[in-house]
Amino acid sequence: MIHFVLLISRQGKVRLTKWYSPYTQKERTKVIRELSGMILVRGPKLCNFVEWRGYKVVYKRYASLYFCMCIDEDDNELEVLEMIHHFVEILDRYFGSVCELDLIFNFHKAYYILDEILIAGELQESSKKSVARLISAQDSLVEEAKEQASSISNIIAQATK
Amino acid sequence: MEQLKTIGRELAMGSQGGFGQSKEFLDLIKSIGETRSKAEEDRIVLREIETLKSRLSSPNTPKFKLKEYLIRLLYVEMLGHDASFGYIHAVKMTHDENLLLKRTGYLAVTLFLNEDHDLIILIVNTIQKDLKSDNYLVVCAALNAVCRLINEETIPAVLPQVVELLGHQKETVRKKAVMALHRFYQRAPGSVSHLISNFRKRLCDNDPGVMGATLCPLFDLIMTDVDSYKDLVISFVNILKQVAERRLPKSYDYHQMPAPFVQIKLLKILSLLGSGDKKASEQIYTIVGDIIRKSDSTSNIGNAILYECICCVSSLHPNPKLLEAAADAISKFLKSDSHNLKYLGIDALSRLIKISPEIAEQHQLAVIDCLEDPDDTLKRKTFELLYKMTKSSNVEVIVDRMINYMISINDSHYKTEIASRCVELAEQFAPSNQWFIQTMNKVFEHAGDLVNSKVAHNLMRLIAEGFGEDDDAVDSQLRSSAVESYLQIMGEPKLPSAFLQSCILVLCVCVCGLFNFFIYLFYRSFVGSWGNMGLQMENILPHILPGNCVTWQRLIRQMT
Repeated sequence: MIHFVLLISRQGKVRLTKWYSPYTQKERTKVIRELSGMILVRGPKLCNFVEWRGYKVVYKRYASLYFCMCIDEDDNELEVLEMIHHFVEILDRYFGSVCELDLIFNFHKAYYILDEILIAGELQESSKKSVARLISAQDSLVEEAKEQASSISNIIAQATK
Repeated sequence: MEQLKTIGRELAMGSQGGFGQSKEFLDLIKSIGETRSKAEEDRIVLREIETLKSRLSSPNTPKFKLKEYLIRLLYVEMLGHDASFGYIHAVKMTHDENLLLKRTGYLAVTLFLNEDHDLIILIVNTIQKDLKSDNYLVVCAALNAVCRLINEETIPAVLPQVVELLGHQKETVRKKAVMALHRFYQRAPGSVSHLISNFRKRLCDNDPGVMGATLCPLFDLIMTDVDSYKDLVISFVNILKQVAERRLPKSYDYHQMPAPFVQIKLLKILSLLGSGDKKASEQIYTIVGDIIRKSDSTSNIGNAILYECICCVSSLHPNPKLLEAAADAISKFLKSDSHNLKYLGIDALSRLIKISPEIAEQHQLAVIDCLEDPDDTLKRKTFELLYKMTKSSNVEVIVDRMINYMISINDSHYKTEIASRCVELAEQFAPSNQWFIQTMNKVFEHAGDLVNSKVAHNLMRLIAEGFGEDDDAVDSQLRSSAVESYLQIMGEPKLPSAFLQSCILVLCVCVCGLFNFFIYLFYRSFVGSWGNMGLQMENILPHILPGNCVTWQRLIRQMT
């Protein structure tokens, strides 16, 4: 299974973290520091996998961001590399040529998307169409909810004038 | 395959206030991005924490602003700061009727909390209610939370509702319900043992996503109880056949491969079912052969499937044709320029070695190349292969290499692992006692403090009591050569102290025999340091012990 997902920038700044196994806050900080140290120094032609504490961490660099997923020893590394790519392709489609800033300023949306791709540490959906459909359903309902809210606040604003 | 764009263009966009956030939030993120030191960043974040503390607890804060503050709190925690003061607000937000707020609340709690958190008890009721909602998006949000936050204690509270959702009209809901049950099984296997038939039914679900999700819990179930699922071999083979023949909707294609993630899951399941079972294996041979033949070795995902096929072949009952196909695939991996493929090739080799040992020799050159590659991950993998390939005829070369590698390792956890592997191989395959002692000494010299002390004691006992050889002359020659080598090593300036102690113990045992060794131990227990003991020993022991006085004095002088 996938134990956690990390998105780290070239400078070691955390852009997204999702934990599917129990890690305390202290452990999380330690994990991030250790893995940043190991992964950010690796050259471009080397394997996209590192062994770490009996697990394996699969990572891939996209422009200035490193996407990392920690998996069990008996998982298929190349498959997980493609899961990372699957996630990136979906982000790309949603944001329209996604870049790091999209993920910084809209990290909560990236989480919503990740929650449709991975669940309980496993791939839950491999069809991009299904993911896109669900996210847009959520977004449109959210838009509806936002409109509702703004119209209510209009009424209140009017009433309190 | 679009790459992410660079920051430049986006900075321009951002300054226009885009990205749909409040200006305050944007300013926060921008200012953190511009900091030059961790101290500076911490200052800004701590200020933000104070702001959030007061605004979150204020009763006048409008709900939609609360939502933004929660998101900012998530951001603060992501940067490594403590946000626990705000958790309760996340919990409260899950109770809200409004979908936007509820969803944010659920996102926040799944990121903030672990399954054992005290606050979970406040969320369970909400989850129970939301699982029954007639808005499927609310149900989905609740199921996401279930997959993250429910533990053994809280499973009973939500289990009945989740089981009912297996029949929901929306496939997304059914899929998430299956995954929730999968997680329940991992937390408390007994809790879903009555649901096996439900899992089997979901395997035939109309929606491929639900079917694919069902493979997760089934894999876990099969791993613990293979025999109960042998009847499903045919079904799995049929499903895999359908997938490989592109009979699933095109939306499940990924890089021109039909539902590759589902194929890989099925191959893993079939490996379990066919392992050690000739009859089951025979039902699986054809489909695996077909997939290998049809595989696309130009894409990563194609190679991922190919690799999984090789793993499957290595666990099925041996089939010469499939083994040959697997060996061919491995050759291609090892010859590739890609480090990833070389890595997989080495891994696949170590799986096939048990079945066809000669395969390792065929690829010797490629293996040595990987061994000398600067890529540490590849090196490590190759040493794992060597470990599995060791026999009496090559143990000297392999262990020699391993020890050299071990010396270069900094990570003590990994160094310990390699050291114990060296010891294990030496103990199992040593061609001669002489080599064995020398090898063990080298391991102690470089990793003495990491090796289990039991190993050191065993070695000493071995030398002291002899190797069980009848020839006393050989035995005593062995002992004296051991003693010589230890005396030499002790002359070296830098030595881990555990090794030093081991040396001395061995020397004492060899030189003065077992009985007198106990006298020495007796004296040792009375003195605190070697210095004192040295003096004592120098004075007392030579009178009690037989053996060469000169040797004793030399030994003691070297210790003190």
